[in-house]
Amino acid sequence: MAETNIIGRSSHIRGRITGTADLEIAGLVEGTVEISGELVVAAEGRIAANLNARRLVVRGAVKGDLSATEAIVLEEGARVVGDVRAPRIAIAPGALLRGYVQTGQQAAAAPRAKAQPAAAAAPRTTNNVRPTAAAAPARPAPAASTAATARPAAAQAAAPSRSTPARTAPAPAPVSSNHTGPARTTSGNAGGGGAKAGPPAPTVPVLKKGARGTLQKRR
Amino acid sequence: MASTIIGAGITIEGEITTDDEVVVQGTVRGKLTAKDAVTIESGAVVEADIVGGPLAVAGSVTGNIHSSDRVDLQPGARVVGNVKATRITIADGAQFKGNVDMDV
Repeated sequence: MAETNIIGRSSHIRGRITGTADLEIAGLVEGTVEISGELVVAAEGRIAANLNARRLVVRGAVKGDLSATEAIVLEEGARVVGDVRAPRIAIAPGALLRGYVQTGQQAAAAPRAKAQPAAAAAPRTTNNVRPTAAAAPARPAPAASTAATARPAAAQAAAPSRSTPARTAPAPAPVSSNHTGPARTTSGNAGGGGAKAGPPAPTVPVLKKGARGTLQKRR
Repeated sequence: MASTIIGAGITIEGEITTDDEVVVQGTVRGKLTAKDAVTIESGAVVEADIVGGPLAVAGSVTGNIHSSDRVDLQPGARVVGNVKATRITIADGAQFKGNVDMDV
């Protein structure tokens, strides 16, 4: 009984759990869990935390990123929202998962770098915010950086081409050009403007228009 | 026996709230709130305020203890902090530094 560590059914832990032993969680845990043993999330367990263990067995609900240095097993009844990374991953029938899955050796190395900013961000935030906050520094960071690099380039590319034919003053303050930039890219897009201004347009209608057209033609 | 056991290899930093019985053999920092019995076993290190039912201490506790029932400081226990409880026993060999408040 005392050999494995158990967080009981009516227990609620907020904060950080670390250690070298095995752990079974049947209660509610918010924060981060980093152990070098086997971590079992029981069917009654509810977790809003990033989990990091040698081996991870999930039968309960987890909101947060899972990583293991050996294997992750999502058994029947598991409900996981978050990324799953381990050298070996098993998902049994009856397990629910929403998130990114990565198997292989590099998956074991990656989560370490990833778990640390998440761990720093996690412990003091509130319940629902945590997984997104945990995911936020990890995933959108590169996306945001690429967007940040891509967007000024697009703005710069769009600005001169539009300024030459149209009325835009040759040297307005950069701030104002930034403000007017997005609005013009959308309008220019409708008029068949710059090729780089593409991203906003295809969000809504492209596929649906075609689909409706073909449907109407068929009828 | 649906209790919470924080074993020897485990460290918890943060807040623990439970209706269960709690057995601590590892390390706890922060706050420990239980409605049932709390046992701090020998070798455990608790740097936290403890609120709970009957409390048995054989390990090290740094923090205030508030029990709705009794507090037993067993031989080998080391407690630094104030203790508030209806009944308290301090065994021979227990180290204790702090105030005792027994609601009379």
